[in-house]
Amino acid sequence: MNKLISLTVLALSSQFVPAANLDSNYRTSGKQVHQAFRELQPFLQSSSAVFNRGRKEVTFGTVVSADGHILTKASELGEVQELVVTIDQTRYESPVLVATDPAWDVALVKVDAEGLKPVALAERPALERGEWLVANGAVTRRERRVQVGVVAASAREVRAAGGAVLGVELDAEGEGLVVGDVSEGGGASKAGLKKGDVIRSLDGEETKDRKSVLKLLEDLRVGQKVTLGIEREGKVMELEVELAGRTDLYGEEKTRNDGMSGEYSARRTGFPAVFQHDIMANRHFMGGPVFDLEGRCVGMNIARFSRCETYAIPAPELREIIGRLVPAGAGS
Amino acid sequence: MRGLRIFIGMLLAVLPCSGQRVAINDKRAPESLADLREIQRLVQAAMPAARAATVCIKLEDGFGSGVIVSKEGLIMTAAHVTGGTDTEFTVVFEDGREVKAKSLGLNSDTDAALARIVEEGEYPFVEVDREDSVQLGDWVFALGHSGGFDKDRGVVARVGRIVRTASRTMQSDCNLIGGDSGGPLFDLNGKLVGIHSRVGDKLPENLHVPSAEFLKNWEKMMSGEFMGEGPFAQKPEVGKGYLGILVEGREGGGVEVKRVGSEGPAKEAGLKPGDVILKADDQVLSSREDLQRILAEKAPGNRIALEIERDGGSEILTLKLAHRDE
Repeated sequence: MNKLISLTVLALSSQFVPAANLDSNYRTSGKQVHQAFRELQPFLQSSSAVFNRGRKEVTFGTVVSADGHILTKASELGEVQELVVTIDQTRYESPVLVATDPAWDVALVKVDAEGLKPVALAERPALERGEWLVANGAVTRRERRVQVGVVAASAREVRAAGGAVLGVELDAEGEGLVVGDVSEGGGASKAGLKKGDVIRSLDGEETKDRKSVLKLLEDLRVGQKVTLGIEREGKVMELEVELAGRTDLYGEEKTRNDGMSGEYSARRTGFPAVFQHDIMANRHFMGGPVFDLEGRCVGMNIARFSRCETYAIPAPELREIIGRLVPAGAGS
Repeated sequence: MRGLRIFIGMLLAVLPCSGQRVAINDKRAPESLADLREIQRLVQAAMPAARAATVCIKLEDGFGSGVIVSKEGLIMTAAHVTGGTDTEFTVVFEDGREVKAKSLGLNSDTDAALARIVEEGEYPFVEVDREDSVQLGDWVFALGHSGGFDKDRGVVARVGRIVRTASRTMQSDCNLIGGDSGGPLFDLNGKLVGIHSRVGDKLPENLHVPSAEFLKNWEKMMSGEFMGEGPFAQKPEVGKGYLGILVEGREGGGVEVKRVGSEGPAKEAGLKPGDVILKADDQVLSSREDLQRILAEKAPGNRIALEIERDGGSEILTLKLAHRDE
C-alpha cells in the first residue's frame, strides 16, 4: 500500500509545476503598474471633484467650467446643500443644483470657485478596444489616485432594463383603463395622477387597454415626457409624465453575476449612449472624468453595471450635455 | 536619424509576427506612458483577428464563448460550456452571423473542450500558442461575449497580466463574468494562450485553461472522448440511454415496434407501432434482447442508427437517446 502511494506521489510530482503568484504590487491594479500612469494623476487632481456627505464619499464629479460647474451622476447625489465638494485640495461648501437630465442620469452642480481647470474633451473618432483609460480610484482629502482599465466594447445605447414606465398599476379589468396604485417617486405620482383616474390617451394616441399602453411605451426612453389624456370624476384633463426605468423604480432581482461582488450603481441601465470599460470602480466612484493617455477627457463614468462592466458617457455626447446644461457665459 | 527610426520601426513591426517574446513582458512593470502605449499598440494590433475568431456559443439553456482555431471551424472552449460530447449548438459571430456546431471531446478535469462548426466554409481563426510560452506577469487580453450575445456591444475586451501559474491552470487579472466562459485569452502576439474557465474567489483572479492542456490531449478530444471524472462536466451514464419504444422479435428477421412512448426520441422521429427495425448501429436485430444489448452500452446523448423497413426498401433514422430517468 505504501508503495502504491509513493508511486502515485512520484507520478504526480513528475509533471507538477509549483504554483507561482505575481506580487500584488505588479498586478494591473497594483502600485508599481499605477506608477507608469503617474503623469496623468494631475488631470484627476485638478479636474475631478469629490462629493462628501460628512466623511462619506457620495460620488465623483467632472469639472466643466472654470467658475465651478461640475457634472455628476444625479441618482447618487441626494440632498445637494449638505454636500462638501473637494477639487484638488480645496473644499467648497453649499453647492447648488443647477440642472438635471434624467435621460442621462446627470446633474449639473455649481460651487463658488474661480480659476478651476475644466476637463479638455477629446475630439477624436470612436474609442477602440484595448485603449488605456484612467479614472479616480480611492481618494484622500489631499490626493486623487488613479484607477486604470481599458476600453472594452463598442459605444452603444443601453436600454432601460424592463423598459420605461409611467409608475402606475393599471386595473386591467372593467370599463376603460383605470389607474390602480400610483408608485411613490415615479413620474405619474409626481405629475399628480391619482388612483381611479382613467387613462384615455398617451401622446394623443387612444389607449384602450394595458397592451396598447405598453406598446406605446416600448419605443420611449427613460427621462422622456409623455402627455397622458385622463378622465377624473367626469372631467377630462392632460398631465405630463416623465418616464422612469422599470428596475430603477421597482428594483430588480439580483442575478448570479450580480451576487459575485461589489456595489453596483442603483441606476445602471437606460442611457442613450455609453462606452464600456473595465475600470472596477464602485458606485460611489461614478460621475468622474475618464482620461486617455494624453490626459484628454474621453468620457464621464455613469454606471458600474456588473462585476466587470462600467459605463461611461462618451466625449461627444458629454459635449452636447455640457453645452445644453451649462449656462451661457460660464467661465470655461 | 529619421532613416534609422523608420528602420527600427520596421523591425518592431516584424518581430512580433515571428512569435518571439515581446520586450515589454521582460519589464517587471511598465515604467512610463511609452511602455503603456506599447502594450496598447500590441493589443490593438492583435485585436481585429482575435475578435473575428471569438464566438458566442448559444446552447438550449444558456450561453458561453469560444474561439475558432482552424480554417475549417474547429473551436476551443470550456468543458462546462459544451457540457458533454456530441452536443449541438449555435455559434454566433460578432456581426450576428450564425452557424451550427457540435461539441467534440472534452476533459472534465481541466475544463478543456473542443467543438467544430458543421457547416462547411472558411472561418476566421487564431493561432494557438504551441510553445507553452506564457509566463507569470505577461500581459494578456481576454475576449468574450459577457452575459450573452449583444450585437450593438460586440465582443468585450479586457487587458491584464498573468497573476498565477500552476501545473494545469493559470490566472489573470482580466475580470470575467458569466458568458465569458470558454472565451479566449491572448498574449501580446495575438496567440491563444488559454480559455476562460472560472471566476476566482477574489475579483481580480480569473482562471483559465492553458492552451498546453488542450494540446496535451488534442487527439483524444478530437476523437470525441469524454476525459476525466472532474467537476466541469458530468459523464453520461452508460445504460441510461432511452429510446421510448417497446419491440418484439418478428418472424423473418428484425423487430416490430409494439408501442411508442408518448415522449422520447422514437416519438419525435415519427416511429409508429407496426414499423419494423431491421438493424441498430449496423447490427442485425432478431429479438428484443438484441436491441436492449446495444442500448445498454449507450448513454443519454449518444446516437443510435436504426434501419427501418419502409415501402419494400429500408431507411436509416439516427436518433439521439434521452435520459431514462427524466
